[in-house]
Amino acid sequence: MRTDRHRRLAGLLLVLAFLGLVGPVSRSLEERRVSIYAPQASYRVAVVERDHKEYVGLLDVLEPLGAASASNAGAEWTIRGSGGEARFTEGKTNGKVRGNKVELAAPLLVENGRPLVPLRSLATLLSRFLDTRVDVHDSSRRVFIGNVGARFTTELKKGEPPALVLNFSMPVSPSISTEGGKLKMVFTRDPVVSATENFSFDDKTISALRYDESSGAAELTVSGSAPLLASFSNGGRTISVSVAPAQAALAQAAPPGAPGVTATPAPGAAAAPPGQGKTGPAEFPRSRYLVIVDASHGGEERGADLGKGIAEKDVTLAFARRIRAELQNRGITTVMVRDADTALALQQRAEMANAAHAAIFLTIHAGTMGSGVRVYSSMLPPSAEASAVFLPWETAQARYVDSSHALADGITLQLGRRRVPAESLEAPVRPLNNIAAVAIAIEVNAPAANPRAFHSPNFQLTVASAVAEAVLAARTRLEAAR
Amino acid sequence: MIPRHAQITIALLLVGACVLGFYVLNEKRKAEEQLRRVADTRPVTAPVAGTPQKVVLVIAYDEEGVLRRREATVVLPEDRALRAREVLRALLNEYVKKPSPHPLAEGSDIKDVYLFQSNLAVIDTTAAFADAHRSGIYVESLTIASMIDTLTANVPGITRVKILVEGKERETLAGHADLMPFYEVATVHELVKEMQ
Repeated sequence: MRTDRHRRLAGLLLVLAFLGLVGPVSRSLEERRVSIYAPQASYRVAVVERDHKEYVGLLDVLEPLGAASASNAGAEWTIRGSGGEARFTEGKTNGKVRGNKVELAAPLLVENGRPLVPLRSLATLLSRFLDTRVDVHDSSRRVFIGNVGARFTTELKKGEPPALVLNFSMPVSPSISTEGGKLKMVFTRDPVVSATENFSFDDKTISALRYDESSGAAELTVSGSAPLLASFSNGGRTISVSVAPAQAALAQAAPPGAPGVTATPAPGAAAAPPGQGKTGPAEFPRSRYLVIVDASHGGEERGADLGKGIAEKDVTLAFARRIRAELQNRGITTVMVRDADTALALQQRAEMANAAHAAIFLTIHAGTMGSGVRVYSSMLPPSAEASAVFLPWETAQARYVDSSHALADGITLQLGRRRVPAESLEAPVRPLNNIAAVAIAIEVNAPAANPRAFHSPNFQLTVASAVAEAVLAARTRLEAAR
Repeated sequence: MIPRHAQITIALLLVGACVLGFYVLNEKRKAEEQLRRVADTRPVTAPVAGTPQKVVLVIAYDEEGVLRRREATVVLPEDRALRAREVLRALLNEYVKKPSPHPLAEGSDIKDVYLFQSNLAVIDTTAAFADAHRSGIYVESLTIASMIDTLTANVPGITRVKILVEGKERETLAGHADLMPFYEVATVHELVKEMQ
């Protein structure tokens, strides 16, 4: 009897020890996010639960929208941004935004020097802070700032075979999967909205389209009697769903994936899933013109100290998001190496770019020497060697170095047209030499005395649009070369 | 009498505690060693004998973000590798002293320069040189360009340069500038021209 009790106690101790190890992992797997759509950027922010209430980091929400900073004097917190100023007290629900009183749904919390606000109060806060309309879809955790929204029309083109044509008001880039006669498109980064949930068509092959929202994403599911295939056109604004040719369906294979990469599937090229069986979302879109945007540093690796507590890793992420948005607006398939505050080794970043067979790799940096932008390409001498199965790791860039110089010059030219001081240099920036694609590093600069310049929405947008224009201009030449 | 399974459980927990304690002590020792290295400014080599000679130092000026050539007088020995080391030490001295046009941390120094086949120079630097270097593409590139151009301006015939830290390869100087390649001097000269 006593032995049984001891045995149970020992078992309990081991179980507790196991839970101590496994608990954090399982908690991270259950991480929830809210999707935020704004004219300047679409992004996702982690939702955390504290005292049985859902919270989000206020700076995580505001930083991608432009300037945002938080300072405190004891428990009194002041959050400043391009929109205005908000004041709250840690542990209290009342506060002021732009001088007007607001009441939070739960007390303000502060963790790691960053204020957390209740998710339920986010719409009110953003609306007053940004002085613009904010719509929240509570059940699906989607937040729409301003008049942002991708609406669509449907048209069933009858014929042999029939095709369902979806025309969107802006370029979109869904993840696509199929299962039997269903084709599902998941829009995580696109602010797709619809007032209608069910669409019926008078056709045996393509009979219905359903719109759903859940977990920070919109979903469109096309139902048919045969395996379906989606293709993109009109710069990612049009998706045509039709019956997959049997041979094409068999020939398609699931695209390779890689851990740690945030992928945005191809809006500009065909995205055709396999005909039978379930497939996951495309981690690496099959595009001949895939651009990888690398926000340098991250996690504990903060990069350069840009002054007044601003870390390079945060600035690079903000610029990378802007550049991604500008590229996607031009119908260019774009993948971010990191879209959160995560640490990645330089070698991992290069491996991701090479595994994805990217056309262009852009790594974003920030510095305090001077102002404006420096665009760097590799110092390797060009190599005219024919394509080989294996490339030396330290000189993988050699075959692409001329194109990299040309893109660097193109970006400098575009920045000059926008009156941003810019120069292109050949410099030893890791990991440019390891990239088997056109690769450049973009360093945005602002004096240490004025680091807030990094958060200027105008500066960010100007740089991002210049980069996107140059990448678009290089497309024809690079696609032909590939 | 404590049952056997309880003894095993307690033993496992004790082993776990010991392993964790050993790990923490090891991390503490490494951190202390790192601090000691950074703070250690003692000379690592004996003074060299030679004659005072005029040399050209290619100095980085952070405020303007440029490299400029400046003459200095340095005691140089006859041996080519020692000359290379002394010229580079003279350059880093400019950066370590205060005020500095391109500040480097105290303890930033050249441990040795090795010459191979008369055209390849391998520069071995102290840990403080890299560990405490400021982070940024341009600031790190200024350091590398300034060192390589100073070296080749005073020791003719060098066409390739490799930089080590404490005798070992390091991926980057301070998170940006690539220390893995063998630098082609001709290419670095082009970068220096852009930075002048």
